[in-house]
Amino acid sequence: MNAGVSVRIVGVLIAVVLVVPTIVICATAFTGGSAVTFPPQGFSFRWIEDVLGDRRWMRAFGNSFAVGALAAVFSMVAGAALALGAARARGAIASVFTAVSVLPMIVPLVVGAIGFYLVYARLGLTGNVVGLALAHGVLGLPYVFVNVLALLRTLDPRIEEAARIHGASQLRTLATVTLPLLAPATVIGGLLAFISSWDEVVVATFLSDARFQTLPVLMYGQIRSGVEPSVSAVSLIVTVVTFGVALIVFAVGPIRARLARRSSRS
Amino acid sequence: MGRVLTIEGGGRRWWVSVGLLGLLFVLLALVVPLAIVVQRSLDAGFENFADALGSASFIRSLGNTAQLAISTTICSAVIGYPYAYAMARSGRTMSRILMTALMLSFWTSLLVRSYAWQVILNDTGLVNELLQAIGVIEEPLQLIRTPAATLIGMTHILVPFTILAIYAQLRGISPDLAMAARGLGATRTRAFWSVTFPLSMPGLAAGSLLVFVLTLGYYVTPQLLGGAGNPVIGQSIVEQTNTLLNTGVGSAMAVLLLVIVIVILGVAARFLGLGRVLGIATERSTR
Repeated sequence: MNAGVSVRIVGVLIAVVLVVPTIVICATAFTGGSAVTFPPQGFSFRWIEDVLGDRRWMRAFGNSFAVGALAAVFSMVAGAALALGAARARGAIASVFTAVSVLPMIVPLVVGAIGFYLVYARLGLTGNVVGLALAHGVLGLPYVFVNVLALLRTLDPRIEEAARIHGASQLRTLATVTLPLLAPATVIGGLLAFISSWDEVVVATFLSDARFQTLPVLMYGQIRSGVEPSVSAVSLIVTVVTFGVALIVFAVGPIRARLARRSSRS
Repeated sequence: MGRVLTIEGGGRRWWVSVGLLGLLFVLLALVVPLAIVVQRSLDAGFENFADALGSASFIRSLGNTAQLAISTTICSAVIGYPYAYAMARSGRTMSRILMTALMLSFWTSLLVRSYAWQVILNDTGLVNELLQAIGVIEEPLQLIRTPAATLIGMTHILVPFTILAIYAQLRGISPDLAMAARGLGATRTRAFWSVTFPLSMPGLAAGSLLVFVLTLGYYVTPQLLGGAGNPVIGQSIVEQTNTLLNTGVGSAMAVLLLVIVIVILGVAARFLGLGRVLGIATERSTR
């Protein structure tokens, strides 16, 4: 039974409210004036040019990208390993693997941030890419875990057994058969981990210092000290990158579904 | 080949050792830091906990957080239900439009969305300008730095989780059931409330639980939209550790927050199944 007209109208109104904030910010990035107002005054690229020419913003951009990419690698390696363990071990050990993979999702960011700070500060892992990528890597791990686990459930075990029967070692089978089969799901999880790192503020604030800041950390400081259109311009750039990655995820998704269908048919 | 091949060509022990590699990473990168927070909270016996629970401002932030979590959950359910229903029970074009709008919002950075609401709710923001233009108000309303602003921002950020949970549930309910009720003489309203709605309850409950728990740990959105006047737990914790440099008391507060979250999820897992709730959480980030 289809939704009535009134429900549809309510749906569309909510849809408008859902997208208005994104539209407002993207529009204010093109203002010609020097205040963040909506509708923007005039039209210009000056704030975007401003940001692209500003070394502080560009360095933060590079830091965010490096942290996100390295975090995605950590998430992919550890998340795929845990998914394999959870799917193929038995009993208590499998439960432990699952519990540990879900844990990063449950811990509130503020709580995690204090822990990261207390430990990483002692190890010289604050104020640099590696420390923050470790923290973001563990926080993004559940995305990889969930996606790889779902794919593992549809995988035909005989493919790997065939490799072993033909004499491949366990490690060789893993590297040349299992992991390539898992690659689409691992990449989707990694991209999601990248995005979650890309817009994470709380942990990043705790693990950054005056010389090492990510884009969200710099944005957050800027927003708190007074709004100006350059923040909108940065927001626009951040949003464009996120949407770009999201489109890749949506593009890879169907490929993965096709692969899953193919292997379950065999 | 003397050994029998088992379990996807590896043997159980092999896969356990592969899993242990990931386990080790989580232990070192996350579990050890959490253990250190617990240790730090206990570094003066239970004094840090006594200080935390004895501070009027922390108790007030607990109340604020509970209030925010309850109201965000209710608002998300009330707004999210009709949206999910329209998405699940409309033609292809309508469903696509609603799903696209949802994803556009969902994939916009949390920080950007909080910033956007700050711009919209400002004294010279969109809402005040509009209300003044149509003559509803003379002077701008104080919207920003109020609990209402935090509620608006939080609902906007978290309602996608409720929508996706209800939508998944509704998609699993055959529309024929409501049609059958209509055929037996029930009105449209009656068919919805006595057939479709009860069947969609598990989705609504899972989404609401997730929103409630996620709200408890938020820091950035309340700080940007609500200001420091009505702090939530997250703000109290950051104030203790960053401003007052009192990591002991801050850690105690953090441990209390973590325990609250784990207890709620533990109780909920008995009724709903944790997998369902956390499955929605990974649809897309976070907090």
